Amino acid sequence: MATTTQHTNGQAPEEKQERTFDAGLLRRIVSYLLPYKSWVVLAFFLVLIAAVLGPVQPWLIQIAIDDYIVQGDYDGLLLIIALLAAALFLEGTLGFVNNYLTQWIGQHAIYDLRTTVFEHIQKQPLGFFDKTPIGRLITRATSDVESISDVLSQGVVTILGDLFKLIFIAAFMFYLNWMLAIVTLMVMPLMVWVTFWFRRKVSSQYRETRKQVARLNSFMQEHVTGMPIVQLFNREQEEMRRFRDINNAHRQAHINTIFYFALFWPAVSIVSDVALGLVLWVGGVAAMADAVTLGVLVAFIQYARRFFEPIRNLSDQYNTLLSGMAGAERVFGLLDKDYSLEETEDPEPMNGIDGRIEFRDVWFTYDEMPEDGTEPNWILKGVSFSIEPGETVAIVGATGAGKTTLINLLLRFYDIQHGEILVDGVDVRNYRLRDLRRHLGLVLQDVFLFSGSVERNLTLGDEAIDPDDVRRAVQAIGAEPFIERLPDGYQQDVRERGASLSHGQRQLMAFARAMLYDPKLLVLDEATSSVDTETEAVMQDALDKVMEGRTCLVIAHRLSTVREADKILVMHRGELREQGTHSELLKQDGLYRKLYEFQYKEQERRKLTSSSGHESLEGA
Amino acid sequence: MKALFRLNHYYWEYKHLFIPGLLCTIASAIFLVLVPIVVREIIDSIPRFVELYNVFEGTDAQGQIFNLFSTGLLLFAGVIVGLSLASGFFSFLMRQTVVVASRHIEYDLRNRLYDHLQRLSPKFYRDFTTGDVITRSTDDIEKVRRYVGPAIMYITRAIVVVVTAITVMFIISPTLTLYALLPMPLLAISIFFVARMVHKRSEALQRQYSTVTTRVQEALTGIRVLKSYTREDAENEAFQEESARYRARQLDLAWVDSAWRPILLLLVGASQVIVVWMGGRLVMDGVITIGNIAEYLIYVQMMTWPVASLGFVITMVQRASASMERLNELFDTQPEICDGPQTDHSITELEGAIAFENVGYRYENGEEWALKDISFEVPAGSMLAVVGRTGAGKSTLIDLIPRLIDPTEGEVRIDGHDVRTIPLDTLRSATGYVPQDVFLFSDTVGNNITFGVTDVEDQALRRAAREADLLENIEEFPDGFETFVGERGITLSGGQKQRSTIARAIIRRSPILLLDDALSAVDTETETTILNHLRAHAGKRTIVIVSHRISAVQEADHIIVLEKGRMLQQGTHDELLEEGGLYKDLHEKQLLQKQIEAL
Repeated sequence: MATTTQHTNGQAPEEKQERTFDAGLLRRIVSYLLPYKSWVVLAFFLVLIAAVLGPVQPWLIQIAIDDYIVQGDYDGLLLIIALLAAALFLEGTLGFVNNYLTQWIGQHAIYDLRTTVFEHIQKQPLGFFDKTPIGRLITRATSDVESISDVLSQGVVTILGDLFKLIFIAAFMFYLNWMLAIVTLMVMPLMVWVTFWFRRKVSSQYRETRKQVARLNSFMQEHVTGMPIVQLFNREQEEMRRFRDINNAHRQAHINTIFYFALFWPAVSIVSDVALGLVLWVGGVAAMADAVTLGVLVAFIQYARRFFEPIRNLSDQYNTLLSGMAGAERVFGLLDKDYSLEETEDPEPMNGIDGRIEFRDVWFTYDEMPEDGTEPNWILKGVSFSIEPGETVAIVGATGAGKTTLINLLLRFYDIQHGEILVDGVDVRNYRLRDLRRHLGLVLQDVFLFSGSVERNLTLGDEAIDPDDVRRAVQAIGAEPFIERLPDGYQQDVRERGASLSHGQRQLMAFARAMLYDPKLLVLDEATSSVDTETEAVMQDALDKVMEGRTCLVIAHRLSTVREADKILVMHRGELREQGTHSELLKQDGLYRKLYEFQYKEQERRKLTSSSGHESLEGA
Repeated sequence: MKALFRLNHYYWEYKHLFIPGLLCTIASAIFLVLVPIVVREIIDSIPRFVELYNVFEGTDAQGQIFNLFSTGLLLFAGVIVGLSLASGFFSFLMRQTVVVASRHIEYDLRNRLYDHLQRLSPKFYRDFTTGDVITRSTDDIEKVRRYVGPAIMYITRAIVVVVTAITVMFIISPTLTLYALLPMPLLAISIFFVARMVHKRSEALQRQYSTVTTRVQEALTGIRVLKSYTREDAENEAFQEESARYRARQLDLAWVDSAWRPILLLLVGASQVIVVWMGGRLVMDGVITIGNIAEYLIYVQMMTWPVASLGFVITMVQRASASMERLNELFDTQPEICDGPQTDHSITELEGAIAFENVGYRYENGEEWALKDISFEVPAGSMLAVVGRTGAGKSTLIDLIPRLIDPTEGEVRIDGHDVRTIPLDTLRSATGYVPQDVFLFSDTVGNNITFGVTDVEDQALRRAAREADLLENIEEFPDGFETFVGERGITLSGGQKQRSTIARAIIRRSPILLLDDALSAVDTETETTILNHLRAHAGKRTIVIVSHRISAVQEADHIIVLEKGRMLQQGTHDELLEEGGLYKDLHEKQLLQKQIEAL
């Protein structure tokens, strides 16, 4: 839900704006065609041939009429008919091959672009995702790329094809009769004007229509979501009135569009009938002087009707180009900015680690460092601690104390501004990112499940993982019973309606995931939400299993975890206030004691209350 | 198909547009069909005139004949343009009536749908997703519209053009007509099949497109998991696979889509080749003239689109029918909570004494009771508080009062009337409700607050805002109460949004005020201020407040502690503290929290 709202939010402010033609941008779009240049050349060649084959047909008809029909030569007519049929057949076939070929080229080029965009986005550090709405990124990788697709698949080749077609039609006309050619072409500017006038009107009208459609949709979206509010506040009549207004504006926008279409189609046939009339008049008069034959006249009737199509196509293509450019500008804008974390050029090798962690005077803020030297909003202030291999360390603290930040920094989701974070004595910045993260296992409180099977969620799509290992991990964690209860077991789609998993089950899956990847160092954010006692026991076992034999850094929410931890780090407002074992800290009677009473002690009490609650209900 | 019959009355309603529209369609088609006849006349007249012209070779009359002929030709050309203008004029009117009428019907249909949606109960909105409802009210209505207007127009035009053209052609030469029209049925059939394939494949394409989108969305939402398990490369590969599949679907579609124009071209071209071939033979036999060939060539071209459109129309009708069924599904859903025979219309005003008697509530298909055995009474003008953990049933309890849901068993009474007998309008006018999930409309702050009242004075608006502790914030906004909230305007903080919803409820000055965990996003200080304002109306208004914060409820006249849908404890703050148990635990925990915050 949250992501869908984000999606619309991300899109809203960037409705496709009008764009002007930008040759540099076009060149950059077209550069994606380079890997397929021999196919592009072939397409050009085929388009060129197809462009001749159309206009050649009226000429063949002219020959058929003048040289054979009028002369009564049936055998000759058959020959011409055969040629005509061949030209037609070839034109049709080439048209098909061309359409498909240009699509093929375009789709391959767009595939390259789309995967590049996705790879680029994925490479960005978490800080980038904090600042950019996900909806916007999704738009970049999908619909923006899609709008360029039309330019790549049809754009360039088709534009040239239509230009060729116009040239050939003109050439044939001049070859047959220059005077009639001039007469026919006289109408052409009018046709161009009508077409482009219409295109301009309609595209501004389309913008208006799109706006109205968007208004209507967002009204619906808002009111369907907020319907209880409308009903509870007796606003039905007023909202109906407002809906009617919006609906009316929507209707009006469409009706205005209809007006232009209603004008355009007749205008086109009137203009070509004017050409027809002119041809017949001038041609007829010329025929008296034997300057024009009947066949030529018939051929010109055809030409007069033929040159409209390429003109209309050209105006369509121009529009495609413009909207493609608007998309391209946004996509390239994204590609041109790379915020990915700097990788060291000379990485420390990392083959298995001991699991020693050290934070040395770490200062960190999520904000940019202010340029004027003022203090930023520090999230961590001079935090130092160390964890020995095999130790379990619990982090505790109130919300906003900086617990999650510690984890983020250890996995190098962000770079710190000051201090050092060392794993096995080496600064995390000196490892390759992938090496570092491969040796650290992260289990988050809010377990993210991908759509797809249980198995995919456990292996995260790593096919190198043996299914037997998956089963073993699941068994060890104790998640087997619930997975086997699912209708499709390991192949159950976790997002399917009705089979969505409980919070506890999600946690178990995350543990199994961590077991499978078998990290030396486990970073864990325990779940806060309560689960029933039965699940609680399973979870506890699972947790013990996962933590066994690893260095563990845990944001603790469970009493048992803090009790058994080798060390507890007490965070408060970005500072490490206290550290020690549970009993040591309790003795100190400081912050930890309060936190303990606030967060953990209740867990003991809760068990008592819920059981006593049961008793009282049963007693009642 | 049956589903579409429900639309018939709309044709009748807009007969003033449909009848002239269809007449214009016919007129336009007839003028169009006349053009080729004139072309034939011109072409055929040329040899005759040339003959005549040659007879007067060398005489003065020759010049006159030339002039006469040239004027005659010009006249003919003028007739062509005239016919074209007439046809164009009627075709303009045709679109301006029939297509416009379809937009009117779309408008009516959508109004009816929205009106119906406003009557439906929350259960409907649980069963149908927002996206689904919106798709039906946009896409489906659009598909139905295409059937109502364009489909009817195309089919009429097609029939008129085809019938008149074929009649004229038949009079000239039945043989040639038969030959020339040979490819036409093939055209209609292949268009139908290609259209169907295109439809199927574009649906497959759309599905894959949403798979790709979902993939991106998931990868980006779960980016933390992917990065921590260094799955970026694997995810890239997976994305490439989905993209490749998308490309494959695109090319599947391109395969049939590329066939469109070639099919039209080939079949029409075939007709023309046949005309030249067979027509040529007939000319040689002296049965027809060259003018007839020219005429036929134009007719064949003229018929292309109408014939092809028949193929489209069939798919249009099919899709419209499916869409109409989906719309009817909504129209046929009856509201569950509405006035009915049990409604007592004599109840026009309420004081606000609330009573629950053995109330139980269970969600459809739910096995567990969300609420069970709830009984209590709240005198008019007093304040009831409901506390408990998340999921204890607090919101369910409060939703029963304004009938957002009806109890599965037991009775909810206001002023002694079962709420189900109170006219819905009266009941809801008598309640001010602040929901747990803050919901504001994208409108001005002022309009959001006055959402539930009509003709409100400035003074009342300011007072409500002050009572919700929001006035100062609003006055700092650039446009005060006129400031837009949401996408088009400023982003309110969570607390400001919540206080706006409180003001929205307060301004109604209704006898009952329901606050469902409505102070969760404000700090304790603001909470106290707002609660003090509310308490100032003690005795005038019944307040039901749900909270998990003890500080918000401790001064209530009566407190209910819920746990797993049951009433665990009840009493006043002091009584409950003395009693111990859950209430006391919650209270102590919150005191500690305050202490930690203060550190």
